[in-house]
Amino acid sequence: MADIEVGEPDVRLDAPAHTPGVRQGNHEGLHKRQPGHLPDDRSTARRSTGICPGSRNPILPGMPNLSPA
Amino acid sequence: MATAQNTHAAQQPDLTDRDLTDVAFDPITRIIGNLGIYTKIDFPAREVVECRSTSSLFRGYSVFMKGKDPRDAHFITSRICGICGDNHATCSLYAQQMAYGVKPPPLADWIINLGEAAEFMFDHTLFQDNLVFVDYCERMVKETNPGVLEQAERTPAPGADQHGFRTIADILRSFNPFEGRTYKEALQLSRLTREMCCLMEGRHVHPSTLYPGGVGTVATPQVFTDYLVRLMRAMDFVKRAVAMNDDVFDFWYEALPGYDQVGRRRTLLGCWGSFQDPDVVDYDYRHMNDWGNAMFVTPGIIVDNELVTTNLVDINLGMRILLGSSYYEDWTGEETYVDKDPLGNPVDKRHPWNQTTVPKPQKRDLDGGKYSWVMSPRWYDERTGDHLALDTGGGPLARLWSTALAGKVRTPYVRSTGQGIEIDLPKTPSSPEAHLRWSPPPFPNTLERNRARMYFVAYAAGMALYFVERALAEVRAGRTKVFEDFKVPKEAIGVGFHEAVRGVLSHHLVIRDRKIANYHPYPPTPWNASPRDHFGTPGPYEDAVQGMTIFEENGREDFKGIDIMRTVRSFDPCLPCGVHMYLGGGRTVTQSHAPTLGALA
Repeated sequence: MADIEVGEPDVRLDAPAHTPGVRQGNHEGLHKRQPGHLPDDRSTARRSTGICPGSRNPILPGMPNLSPA
Repeated sequence: MATAQNTHAAQQPDLTDRDLTDVAFDPITRIIGNLGIYTKIDFPAREVVECRSTSSLFRGYSVFMKGKDPRDAHFITSRICGICGDNHATCSLYAQQMAYGVKPPPLADWIINLGEAAEFMFDHTLFQDNLVFVDYCERMVKETNPGVLEQAERTPAPGADQHGFRTIADILRSFNPFEGRTYKEALQLSRLTREMCCLMEGRHVHPSTLYPGGVGTVATPQVFTDYLVRLMRAMDFVKRAVAMNDDVFDFWYEALPGYDQVGRRRTLLGCWGSFQDPDVVDYDYRHMNDWGNAMFVTPGIIVDNELVTTNLVDINLGMRILLGSSYYEDWTGEETYVDKDPLGNPVDKRHPWNQTTVPKPQKRDLDGGKYSWVMSPRWYDERTGDHLALDTGGGPLARLWSTALAGKVRTPYVRSTGQGIEIDLPKTPSSPEAHLRWSPPPFPNTLERNRARMYFVAYAAGMALYFVERALAEVRAGRTKVFEDFKVPKEAIGVGFHEAVRGVLSHHLVIRDRKIANYHPYPPTPWNASPRDHFGTPGPYEDAVQGMTIFEENGREDFKGIDIMRTVRSFDPCLPCGVHMYLGGGRTVTQSHAPTLGALA
């Protein structure tokens, strides 16, 4: 490294890295924990709301499911 | 090789027997006050004889990224810049996705493309109308070239029916800071386009919803409609702005014969490509040539008006980081991280993958010593053995030129013909449809770099319209997934190629033990602002300013250096929030600007 005088580091370089036991956002198979997301890349109204989501789904199977938010 | 480099060194000016004045502009910057231009001017001959660009600030991202979780990389590197941070985040995602081997769902890529298109529109407009045009506004021209202003008063604007200004002088008056119409409209537009970016990326300029593997944006018809409404309003402005830009720059050529030589430089342009096509891209290095060529801004290197390559693998392997005038120790004795790329090609020791940053602070020595914290990135041309000092032409010039010559982009609103670019913008609330054409100029100079900027805003607007249509098609088909799972590998390498607003952007990443072992972002300004390398080849700013004729009517005593400033700013560096001018002989002129935020009301 360079011959520059620097102070003692007061935090580990990799401090923001993963903490064991905390669920990771990129965890494989996470869609199981995300209601409203279907395994085939589609989603339902449950993605947006937990209140009567069924009645917000399309009325015909051929219609796209455009969840409100 | 040495011969070619020596030729360049031999072109260094002979400074003896000339009446030279040192004129320094330091700092010139928008972000962190770190760019200085030091010139020697021959006032009797009205020529800039020598120029050196220096930076007095060390950032050290490549030093402190080591050891961190690679998944944090885009959040950290976004902070490199206060105006194009989302370009860094996006580029970092591309590098991470290559390293993790994950391809996001198509909708995620469309959303990123939409956010980036909005960023290009935002940043270019803000820079052009609120910062560049201050150098061309009525008040400035009155001070530097009163004769030109008189002529502008008498010259009718050819595009008056499109932008509504009767004479060229009317346009220049609208550029006056804080009070001109164009200046104020551009500020309002920059709000609109930032909102567009926020809709897609959560936040501007440090996105909160971009992750490797996808985005966190909830894709609903509403979010795209909100984007579209703003895009249509922005297009009204863009159509007027292109016509206005053409009028002003055409007038400049006419009013100041010979101005085409200002900022002229050999055509050495680099573009790393932008806007991935989700139908083709898989973020795998081995297929990088295929998906690089499918990008909606084609990557390419243009040497002497010829397109040398559009292959991102060639572009990657040709990158060399040279030293010579920079405050660093060489890293030849340090570790080699990547000796072969995933295709088996050898990777040079001076390639960013193998770079180790070893800072060595020292006194600035502008007379043949080290004078900058910027390194000297070069591209090794295998055909000639030269290390080319590529520039980005401020970003848009290289992007449009490369896309135009490659002839690969075919979308309903933007098409590349092989010789030029056609942009069709539809009818919008207060303007009819517009058909724009851009062709490469005979050579790059100050005015053409600026002209390309507004054409690229139109390009990004046309592309954004196409991306909205594709994204909405995904949503309507029910494919609303925007995120793909992945695992961080124990060891991997990755590279991201993207365009920051002002030009080429690459992030090189090496992962070991699931942590970052080496990380090197190369944004456009190191390419443009690089100092002389160890061959003596000057960097692009130095090259463009050196040998330039001065058109300013002021003499030595009240010299503003407007032609030099126009040239440096045409590359879209970081602009001054205050300019200190030092005139040889001990006289210091300080000029500072206080932004009056209430001026719009």
